[in-house]
Amino acid sequence: MAASVRTFVRSLSRKNACFAAVLRQSDCRWFTGAAEDRSTHFGFETVSEAEKASKVYKVFENVAQKYDVMNDAMSLGIHRLWKDALLHVMHPQPGARLLDVAGGTGDIAFRFLDYIRSQQEKQQRRAMSLGQTPSWRDISDGYPAGGGAPESAVVVCDINKEMLKVGRQRADSRGVTTGLSWVVGDAEELPFNDDQFDLYSIAFGIRNVTRIDQALKEALRVLKPGGRFLCLEFSKVTNPVLERLYDAYSFQVIPVLGEVIAGDWKSYQYLVESIRKFPDQEEFKGLMEDAGFFCVQYFNLTGGVVALHSGFKL
Amino acid sequence: MFKDVVRLALGTARVYRRVSCSPLQQSPAASRVTVRSFTAVKDDVPPPFDSSLLDVLACPLSKKPLRYNPDTNELINEELGIAYPIIDGIPNMIPQDARLIRKDEPQTPAQ
Repeated sequence: MAASVRTFVRSLSRKNACFAAVLRQSDCRWFTGAAEDRSTHFGFETVSEAEKASKVYKVFENVAQKYDVMNDAMSLGIHRLWKDALLHVMHPQPGARLLDVAGGTGDIAFRFLDYIRSQQEKQQRRAMSLGQTPSWRDISDGYPAGGGAPESAVVVCDINKEMLKVGRQRADSRGVTTGLSWVVGDAEELPFNDDQFDLYSIAFGIRNVTRIDQALKEALRVLKPGGRFLCLEFSKVTNPVLERLYDAYSFQVIPVLGEVIAGDWKSYQYLVESIRKFPDQEEFKGLMEDAGFFCVQYFNLTGGVVALHSGFKL
Repeated sequence: MFKDVVRLALGTARVYRRVSCSPLQQSPAASRVTVRSFTAVKDDVPPPFDSSLLDVLACPLSKKPLRYNPDTNELINEELGIAYPIIDGIPNMIPQDARLIRKDEPQTPAQ
């Protein structure tokens, strides 16, 4: 086990040497080479930071095809309510631009587009009811020609290609063509310019990120001033009785479901362990404030099983 | 009356056959196209890259804008000399998967 870690680390440093010449000019923490010295947690295991990223990648590569089915099975469909709650709190208006990080299969992105469309219809209905029939200019603005009002768009960014592939298939089957883009990218090193997005969401993804503080700083960077950061994540249950039931369910039932449905016990064991290692509501709120977000608040959903954190860049 | 019905039916059949015959003769190309659309063959042309993404995308390392190269289907950062591949219409912005284009290095199979 130690030998394989060493060879992996050595191969990483060989790759680092290739990039060192190129990147000497740019100051980026990514290739300091100290990643293998620092250790972090992978579920209940302790691994080096360099190893965690690749292990997490493998987990999601394995579960990608059955990801949505497993979500429904494990949460008994409640994950849909959590994601709907995220959208309601987000309350996006037409013209908003969303960056959905770790958004792999596109659940949040599809909900965002549906919500925007229903908001547009609501606005049109309100205008009609007030007796304001649309002029020719309003109608022609509605056509998707170049220029005109800024269109709402969502960019789905995920580090895992398999998850994005599944997401793209779902988009094709739904017939969603415009307003949706897919990018393979690292949450700790987002491939976007500063001050680009009105909204940033990361649903059930931030606990898989190796350095959460780095991901939060990147989120702050790509948000426009006045932009909102929203994070859905499993958190600490407030009620002790519910907590016992939840622990029993997590450790007894979920890996079994994972084995039966997806044929992968270990990935789902990692999932429930990583939930336990993630900081609780107040700690994560502190992390967000340290990164520079203002008006940080959280909402407990389903008794604290899931927490929705929100912060603004001001 | 029965004879009328039969005559009507035959007449429509004749008309139908005449209608269906003539387009086939006039536009053989059209029928060829429809046949091709039923085959489950993957497109040779990869799905087009969304150029509106170019406004938003930047190199994750230097945050500088990128240039789209349609020949190799890559996003190129001139300054650092790296190219990010676009696979299946999805740009891959992980630095480890990028290709160095300086010093004439061959494509490094990273990961």
